[in-house]
Amino acid sequence: MDLLGQVLINGILLGGLYAMMALGLALVWGVLNIVNLAHGAFIMLGAYVSLYLFTYAHIDPFLGLPITAAVMFAIGYGVQRGILNLIVRAPMFNTLLITFGLEVVLTYLAQLAFSADFRTINPTYAGDSIVLGPVVLPLARLMAFGVAIALTVGMWLFLLHTRLGRAIRATAQNLVAARLYGVEPRHLYAVTFGIGIALAGAAGGLYGTVSQINPYIGAGLTAKSFAISIIGGLDNPLGVIVGGLFLGILESLTALYIGPTYADVASFGVLVLVLIVRPTGLLGKAA
Amino acid sequence: MSAKPAVREPLLDVRAVGAGYGGMPVLQDIALTIYPAEIVALVGSNGAGKTTLLRTLSRVLPATGGIVMNGHDLLPMTSDQVFAAGLVQVPEGRQLFDRMSVQDNLLMGAYRRTDKAAVARDLDRMYAMFPRLSERRQQLAGSMSGGEQQMCAMARGLMAAPVLLMIDEMSLGLAPVIVEQLMGVLSTIRDEGVTVLLVEQDVNLALSTADRGYVMETGRIVHSGPAKQLIDDPEVRRAYLGL
Repeated sequence: MDLLGQVLINGILLGGLYAMMALGLALVWGVLNIVNLAHGAFIMLGAYVSLYLFTYAHIDPFLGLPITAAVMFAIGYGVQRGILNLIVRAPMFNTLLITFGLEVVLTYLAQLAFSADFRTINPTYAGDSIVLGPVVLPLARLMAFGVAIALTVGMWLFLLHTRLGRAIRATAQNLVAARLYGVEPRHLYAVTFGIGIALAGAAGGLYGTVSQINPYIGAGLTAKSFAISIIGGLDNPLGVIVGGLFLGILESLTALYIGPTYADVASFGVLVLVLIVRPTGLLGKAA
Repeated sequence: MSAKPAVREPLLDVRAVGAGYGGMPVLQDIALTIYPAEIVALVGSNGAGKTTLLRTLSRVLPATGGIVMNGHDLLPMTSDQVFAAGLVQVPEGRQLFDRMSVQDNLLMGAYRRTDKAAVARDLDRMYAMFPRLSERRQQLAGSMSGGEQQMCAMARGLMAAPVLLMIDEMSLGLAPVIVEQLMGVLSTIRDEGVTVLLVEQDVNLALSTADRGYVMETGRIVHSGPAKQLIDDPEVRRAYLGL
């Protein structure tokens, strides 16, 4: 019973981080209609930005998150303005092809720049944990979970209650009308993609504190983010929290009862099931 | 200057405008004048060029001739600049943000306005003018009836603080009783000082509310004058009213 409790806790903590990873992908997908296959590569880049800030500037990975996010926002804005705006209304196949190309380029540039070694961001408190009755809460994971949930909810509030958030939603729903009332789509798309990449980068920074990183982690993280977006639904940013927690718990339980190698089988099995039974996602509105 | 007799300055002055699609002329020698705080109807059957004229005024289509609004030469402007100058369109088919609340739709109308206090005042004004929208401010725009959606679209247009509001096919697909209400709203808007260009296929309806009217046919203005006079014009009656 203690073991089950601990596994559930681990799953929830992991799930919060998953939610934040998926948030940027879901945002870009929902607003720009681009399934960004390079999303995981941007998470990876964010992890390295945090790692270098920590290693060379001695900036704590949690306190350094705003810097990581700002750097990644600038990269995302530039990529959208310079490359992706060219294909934003092109058929889905073109966007898949170009973002896949981007993922390959980013991965191998990262390999050149950072080498293929496994790295971790190791602040002094990395091994600390809080013992709460029968379960243990690893401090770094708990903090990563807290930041991830706070940023995800913050993003939701931003979309609902700010002028820019409103414009992002409006453009996603009706581009013609948004233009008619003065929205400049090329800039708005770039800002949206920048926000999505900033979230990905921040998630990468958190990921680096709880897990090992190398230049090749991107593709797997894209696949997980994709599954979470589908499971949670694109309509509501809170959907990724549901999807992320669901996937985190599912993977932990599968690892416990069936075996760690089956964790991915379970998550993608659920993805297929959701697509068949409820294609708009668990929180998505029925079409 | 003071010696000049008081002549009403036109708000929009369109002269000898021609436009078309890819070298194919659609509009020819269009002349149209709109004065402040009046409702002008632009009527004509399907394919007469009304929407092309709207697109020309919004500077979506290249054109020749002269388009002057409020002293600004619109011809060299982009559609964005024309919007900033106060030429606001309520598009055909309403084009609401369906999965956003009524209030969010109205606020999107004011997207480019920076004076928060003035926007908040205008929002209150809209809710006073459209009590139905006031009751439904948190409801999703797409879940309302057609008439309510049209009200929402018009209120969104007004939130942009237009100098001239162009409404494209307001009555399309709406029940007569709803259309009558909307026409009443138009008069209210006019009385508040907003100038309206009403583009309608329903000639009788448009002319019975408007102050003046222009009748289009195959890309030209074929009749113009006070709306009451046009309704009684035997040629207009025969061609459009089936009388």
